[in-house]
Amino acid sequence: MRQASSPAEPAGAGIPGSNLSGPYPVGEYAAALRSKLRSFTRVQLIGELVNLRAARARVYFELRDATGAIPCSAWRDDWEATCAREGLAPQDGMQIVVAGGCDYYPGSASASPGFSFAVHDLRVAGEGDLLARIERLRRQLRSEGLLERQKQLERPLLPRAIGVITGESGKARDDVRAALQRRGWRGRLVWAFTPVQDRHAAPAICRALGDLAAVADVEVVIIARGGGSLADLMALSDETLCRTVAMCAIPVIASVGHHTDRTLLDDVAAVSCSTPTHAAEAAVGIDCVRARTEALAAAVRLREHGRRAVVARARTLTMLSRAPAGRLERQRGLLHQRLRELRAGARRRMGSERALAHTRAVVLGRKASSTLIDCRRRRPRELEQLALALAGHDPQRTLERGYALAFSRGGEPLSDTGAARTARELRLRFADGEVDVDVREP
Amino acid sequence: MSEQAPGQEPPQGGKLSYEAASARIEEIIRRLDSGEASLDETLALLSEGKTLIELCARELAAVGDALQELRLDELVSRLEGTGDG
Repeated sequence: MRQASSPAEPAGAGIPGSNLSGPYPVGEYAAALRSKLRSFTRVQLIGELVNLRAARARVYFELRDATGAIPCSAWRDDWEATCAREGLAPQDGMQIVVAGGCDYYPGSASASPGFSFAVHDLRVAGEGDLLARIERLRRQLRSEGLLERQKQLERPLLPRAIGVITGESGKARDDVRAALQRRGWRGRLVWAFTPVQDRHAAPAICRALGDLAAVADVEVVIIARGGGSLADLMALSDETLCRTVAMCAIPVIASVGHHTDRTLLDDVAAVSCSTPTHAAEAAVGIDCVRARTEALAAAVRLREHGRRAVVARARTLTMLSRAPAGRLERQRGLLHQRLRELRAGARRRMGSERALAHTRAVVLGRKASSTLIDCRRRRPRELEQLALALAGHDPQRTLERGYALAFSRGGEPLSDTGAARTARELRLRFADGEVDVDVREP
Repeated sequence: MSEQAPGQEPPQGGKLSYEAASARIEEIIRRLDSGEASLDETLALLSEGKTLIELCARELAAVGDALQELRLDELVSRLEGTGDG
């Protein structure tokens, strides 16, 4: 579809077989292109000022950021008037905001054509703009997990080699070296000197980081620079640099001398330090002098444990070997003791039994004496009484009162008539003698 | 992003690190101090501890002689020269 500003239909013959319109005279097409580009919406752009140069009538430069660039130009009079009015002194490396729109110089038979963004106003980007850009990028990196990758790496306490990326003339170099010396660390220090604040800084640091990671034994890398304005530190918030650091398999320690705003390098690094001295101390996690003393002490303790393990056990074995004899001796002593106790006990018991028997004998003797005396005293009277009682029952006394006793002739007493009839021949005893009688039935 | 992530291999390469060795030595000494280890275990711990102390001593000796400072650009040039030759 042909645009209203397109050149008129040409008269010349085109390429046979092509279904494209034309050919058009290039000057007409260039003019139409300029018209088309100028119709684009006018906008503001922000980026780093690069390659600023002034011609007789115009000022040229590029505006760049991590993902692209646009050639810009301005009328020199307008540019200088704006700078004077705003008190600006634009120079390479500055972040600036420009206002304008697309333009195209169509050139001529003797002049080269060129596209540019025609600038009619500008200002230096404030910290707010830079911080907003950094914050956007920080969110992006965080969402990709890139702020944590370095922090998950294991950092050696005692690296054999340390890589340091810093400016060659900066004070950071001396500070790192001095701090490592204080640690007693005297390994390999590989210096990578790069720009640390202009547009060349981020790519150079990325290259140095890649090269250091390939050097044998380099186990940690320090990126150090002194303090500066936020604009100066923008190189350390470069997206490519931050992604490279985040993906590096070697721990990176950031040492950026700032006091307020953090760079993105601080966020993606394994450790962020405020001074090169602290960075060196973070790179070598121990005091090597003290560690040597402690290693020696540990060796001594182990040796002592080794000696004690053998000596103490030998002593125990000796004691154990002596134990049965000692136990027998103790048992023998115990038996003797018990024997002595038994003998003493028996003696004590015999003595007490003897005393008891003696006591009983005395008591019995006394009782016998007493009984004898008593008998002597009482028995004659009792005997007399008993004799009297017995005399009362004497049959002779009954016979003397006129009674008679009947006996069989065999001498058996007969106490009733039945016995007398059975015996038939009786003997009667009277007090003065006996007579034989025969029983006769009446 | 066109750069390749540097350092594809872990720096330790599977070797026991100084911090791991020194931590294990402390553990061994604590165990020996407890007096609970049997003779066999004691001898094994002593042997392991001796090996670890030698490792630590080697690591400390490696960073104990003299600070050696190199420039990366010279190192890279030298390596590139070797590669070209």
